[in-house]
Amino acid sequence: MLANDLLLAGRNLLRHTRRTVILASALAAVTALLVLLMSLTNGIERAMMESATTLMTGHVNVGGFYKVTSGSAVPLVADYQKVLADTRAEVPEVEYVVARGRGYTKVVSEAASMDLVLTGVDIEDEPKFPEVIVPLAGRLQDLQQPGTILVFQNQAERLKVKVGDTLTLSAPTSRGVNNTADVRVVVIARNIGVLSMFYGFIEQGTLWELYGLSPGSTGAIHLFLKDQDASSAVAARLRAKLAARWEVMDPDSDPYWKKMMFKVPAENWTGQKLDVTIWKDELGDFEPIMRGVRVLAAILITILMLVVIVGIINTLVIAIRERTREIGTLRAIGMQRTKVLWLFVLEMGLLGLLGTVGGAIIGGAVGLGLNALGIQVSDSMQMLLVQERLTFVLDFPQIVDYVLQLTGVVVLASLYPAFRAARLKPVTAMHHIG
Amino acid sequence: MNRLALRLAALAVLAVLVAAAPARGLEADELRKVVETLDDRQRNSGDWKALCFMEAKERGKTDTVYELLVYRRDLDDKQLFLFTKPKSEAGKGYLRIEKNLWSYDPSTGRWERRTERERIGGTDTRRDDLSEPRLAEDYEARWVGDEKLGRFDVHHLALTVKPGVDVSYPVRHLWVDKETLNILKRQDFALSGKLMRTSYTPKWRKIYSESKKGDVWYPEEMRFFDEIEKGNSTLILIQEIDLRGLDPNIFTKAWLESKSR
Repeated sequence: MLANDLLLAGRNLLRHTRRTVILASALAAVTALLVLLMSLTNGIERAMMESATTLMTGHVNVGGFYKVTSGSAVPLVADYQKVLADTRAEVPEVEYVVARGRGYTKVVSEAASMDLVLTGVDIEDEPKFPEVIVPLAGRLQDLQQPGTILVFQNQAERLKVKVGDTLTLSAPTSRGVNNTADVRVVVIARNIGVLSMFYGFIEQGTLWELYGLSPGSTGAIHLFLKDQDASSAVAARLRAKLAARWEVMDPDSDPYWKKMMFKVPAENWTGQKLDVTIWKDELGDFEPIMRGVRVLAAILITILMLVVIVGIINTLVIAIRERTREIGTLRAIGMQRTKVLWLFVLEMGLLGLLGTVGGAIIGGAVGLGLNALGIQVSDSMQMLLVQERLTFVLDFPQIVDYVLQLTGVVVLASLYPAFRAARLKPVTAMHHIG
Repeated sequence: MNRLALRLAALAVLAVLVAAAPARGLEADELRKVVETLDDRQRNSGDWKALCFMEAKERGKTDTVYELLVYRRDLDDKQLFLFTKPKSEAGKGYLRIEKNLWSYDPSTGRWERRTERERIGGTDTRRDDLSEPRLAEDYEARWVGDEKLGRFDVHHLALTVKPGVDVSYPVRHLWVDKETLNILKRQDFALSGKLMRTSYTPKWRKIYSESKKGDVWYPEEMRFFDEIEKGNSTLILIQEIDLRGLDPNIFTKAWLESKSR
């Protein structure tokens, strides 16, 4: 029965070729746009996550601040091995843990200077580092040597340095004494989104020397979980457990550098406090950017849907007007109103499915094509898109979801004109001249 | 004849020995006295108000000129900086009460606590460049030598921070005019030993202070040269010194906020 109805609907579509092609093309274009928009948003999110969890944060972080005087704030965890032992005991679901130093410094070359957020790393303890950081010049292993630094391509261009050149780092120590360190550039890495504009990596020991810290301290302990979605729950549990033994700060969704610059120096305490955060906190202002992109995408989708609905209703109203005599004949030979309604809905459903599937294929193909072209994003756009090259990440279940949603919208939009068609009296319909 | 020749020879040897002997260094007491005098000459022990001009030159950037008022109450260890020009900076300021330093930005209405050794207005100037010096309290001095600086005969002194004292620069070298005891040149070193800043204070003036019952010396012109970022420099001109008593309300957040309303 359904096969017959489908055949009938299919024949109707084929009979009105022009109208079918126009409607299906419109649907395909909308679907392709949606797929591209979705895959671009996914690309931005993935680039951001990749940058964030490599450059600045774990899924869960145990950081903190040490205040020599109430007006100062140094981002460090003193005696971190004890904190690390407590953390490991409390989080069995951790995949791996790294301890990184944190700092902020002025980097000066012969030609220029810039401010960098510095991360002290022990490259041997960074299993994911080589997967994400792509050296364009130099070797990552050389970052084990004292007095060495990794800079990103755009930083190297700005500072006009190459591998082997010396940079001077200038920063106050934890006690506010001016200090410098001369470091050798050992790696120039490929840019990773906007974060690589102001992040640099330095050998851990050199960072301690610059800030006058003991090797027993670290900037933060980064925990990488097997399940990233468990970050919030793990952080809450860990915070509660650590609070029993250590001074722990209240939850705050600001990134550590914002707390270091504005919040913590204004607080009236001295000594050590730990701060448990998740990757979303450390992303700081990037989360609102992502939210903005998603809202923008949702607005565009809504507008596109409205256009589709209005277009379909309009086209169907015209189509039914054209086919009034045909409907009258069908009703005269005994076809029930529900059947007429069903046939029109089925016809539109079939059209919707054809158009959206076609659009999804086109959108996917365009996305893959653009990925293959590797289109360079301008510096200003990198701030928004968080990636150096335009990347479209196709998510198959999400594409299927869009296809079904759009087809559903088409079917719903066809209900009103289909009802109108079904309500026609056979005699009136057969006498219709149109 | 022989005796005369012998005497002449002895005198000649003595003259050579005297000429070859190294210049006598400052003894510990003399050195301490010199450093204490350097502090004392600039100490006012009362209130202080000055109009300052600050010109900052940064490599690759446009020069910036600031006009600011500096208020000091050394007895209570309080200090206030109020920027008056350019227009974009007018109303901004710093308030220091003992070891606590806050900065204020009228555009946001926000106060931020800053490190006491903050660069003033992002230039090479530090807060302590415009404060009473505490060289004798914070540093151990060492006489390096007597030298010639241009046409001046100077003592070259090396100051190293005393244990447990926090200062911007742990090592400082001073070139002090022997005759007037004016500091003519200063070099500031980082903890790593790297030279960070060289400054020159060629013009000194004095003003009578009622509270001190004596003269207070101040550098009318200070030139700072960044030795890390070559090409960056800051010039400070100190003018219109007023040592009359200041209203205690000046050293409050409310007073600084009121200046931008």
